Amino acid sequence: MAELEVALIGAGGIARAHLPAWTALGARVRLYAPDDRAPALAREFGATSVGSLSEALDGAAVVDVCTPTDTHREVTLAAVAAGAHVLCEKPLALGATEATEMADAAEAAGVRLYPGHVVRFFPAYARLRDLVAGGALGRVAVARFTRTGRYPTWSGWFADPARSGGILTDQMIHDMDIARWLFGDVVRVHAAQQGHLTAPAPEGAVATGTAVLTHASGTISQVVGVWGPPATPFRTTFQVSGTGGTVQHDSLAHLDLRITGAVSGGPAEGIPAGDFGESPYVTQIREFAAAFAGGPEPRVSGRDGVTAVRIAEAAAESARTGRAVELAPGTTGSTTVATKGIEQ
Amino acid sequence: MRVAVLSFAHLHAATYIGLLRDREGIELITADPEAPPGDPTRGRALAERLGVAYADTWDEVFAQRPDAVIVTSENARHRHLVERAAASGAHVLCEKPLATTEADATAMIDACADAGVRLMTAYPVRFSPAFTALRRAFAEGSLGGLISVHGANNGSNPARSHAWFADPELAGGGALADHTVHVADLVDALLDGEQAAEVYAQANSVLDDGGPTPEVETAGLVTIRYPGGLVTAVDASWSHPPDHPTWGGLAMTCVAEKAIVEFDAFPPLLGGFDSRTGRGRWEAGGVDLDAAMLDEFLDAVRTGRRPSPDGEAGLRTLRIVLAAYESLRTGQPVALPTG
Repeated sequence: MAELEVALIGAGGIARAHLPAWTALGARVRLYAPDDRAPALAREFGATSVGSLSEALDGAAVVDVCTPTDTHREVTLAAVAAGAHVLCEKPLALGATEATEMADAAEAAGVRLYPGHVVRFFPAYARLRDLVAGGALGRVAVARFTRTGRYPTWSGWFADPARSGGILTDQMIHDMDIARWLFGDVVRVHAAQQGHLTAPAPEGAVATGTAVLTHASGTISQVVGVWGPPATPFRTTFQVSGTGGTVQHDSLAHLDLRITGAVSGGPAEGIPAGDFGESPYVTQIREFAAAFAGGPEPRVSGRDGVTAVRIAEAAAESARTGRAVELAPGTTGSTTVATKGIEQ
Repeated sequence: MRVAVLSFAHLHAATYIGLLRDREGIELITADPEAPPGDPTRGRALAERLGVAYADTWDEVFAQRPDAVIVTSENARHRHLVERAAASGAHVLCEKPLATTEADATAMIDACADAGVRLMTAYPVRFSPAFTALRRAFAEGSLGGLISVHGANNGSNPARSHAWFADPELAGGGALADHTVHVADLVDALLDGEQAAEVYAQANSVLDDGGPTPEVETAGLVTIRYPGGLVTAVDASWSHPPDHPTWGGLAMTCVAEKAIVEFDAFPPLLGGFDSRTGRGRWEAGGVDLDAAMLDEFLDAVRTGRRPSPDGEAGLRTLRIVLAAYESLRTGQPVALPTG
């Protein structure tokens, strides 16, 4: 792995999560971002900062696309054209047409494209998948997923539907992908969104979304997303019910370590709290890196990323029109695309 | 005050009898003439077991001129009892859902109004002190405007013990009819009775497939949109396994402009493990919501004031259920009549 050359494009929040994962795996990372944040981020993690996209792509075996969603297509196509494998942060694109074009281009070029649907790598969701796939819940009837965090006012593009797709596409696509991973093809989507849905979003803005997915298997899933008030802690939950019983999760219910009582900014601030397992970003990037090196296919494919976008796009259409949107059977199914790994 | 509990079809009949039996100033009579003959869980057998007076016919009950009645018959059999009670001048507490058709619900409301008696719909969760605090906080404006609500009212399938709950003719449906209304009623309270504008529903019969509920849905998700823009997402599934330590529960999250509020109507007081049963221990907490609801009804009967939730509240939430079933048929959101 030491020789793996990674070009990381972007220097925002997700780049900050991916960069230490790459360096932990021994990759050499060159960082490029069109804004002025790349040098500082590179210095912080011992990476190299370069001055242009072409300089970043030159000789890179892997390109990690961590830019705003509306630029994913352009950066990904440039990476594919340069012969690099691609990890593209979710959502792959704002629309299924663009996402399909990206997956097709990667396939035609013989490189791999994986979407950063990192929730599949969170232990609770990976275990849920094991339970459902292993039949522990019997036949699943109904599932609920919630995802709650503060409104991402720290970066202006999130609030702009033309750049992020808004809460339905940017945030709720996580659980839409999980629901399809667990219960298969989605044939009907209904969604609604409320609150502050346009840019700019002031501090204190709130937005929520609600989606109901109907799977070809008969299972029904409810996905709720919340971009909450400023002091909202990040929290995810799920509840799944089947003929074999139920399973539930609340990310705030059982912490490894909980620290209370300390004055904000005091000495306890430096103590890590919460979850002490491996970072899901490291798990994700290790699995992708192994696949890039010719190893087994990871748990999420480029086509899975396309399908997640298709579901989110249907949700956005439903929210816009007020109608439930039918998806043709098979269009959200799982397909395996054979591609080759890095030439050793 | 003479109070009659009419029919033992609903599980709650025994609950209400237990709560009223020993109350001072209450003379309790019961009747269950439509019970299947010989059913030991119904009719005179149950009344004797509960130690309450029993009448063999509706005529016999109404001849005793009750001041108030509690209607706990099958959902489709509420109307004839409510109309009869109204005609005899008795105030009515009717089990939810108020009816299985809008025509029945409207007829019941009209009959009570014409007779000058009060009609209350049995939604006990409104009487949770925690919900009252939540409602007051919204009314005072400290939480900002309400943006969305997501709630779950899950329980074990009641048809396992009371088969009519899964008879579409008698119950009006399955889990959607049984469970959508509680969360919908809480939102009705928060919105001061604003009638929903649109309903979308999806459902299936995966759970208990081939069991006691061959004809109705056992799991359902409902999305309700209100004219003011609020959207409420409900999980109304009978998804609690039969061997679960509780019948189910109701929890609701309100996302508002300034805060997110979570409400649990049936929080456990104590947890743990019970080695005798090999199951989780669950000691119920909170106040007795049914008792609080009966207090409201009896006070309305005594004073003649309008109880809350009234028959109209029951009709508004019934309309949501009826639209949910229409949505199941069409696969699309269904608009409710305005005004």
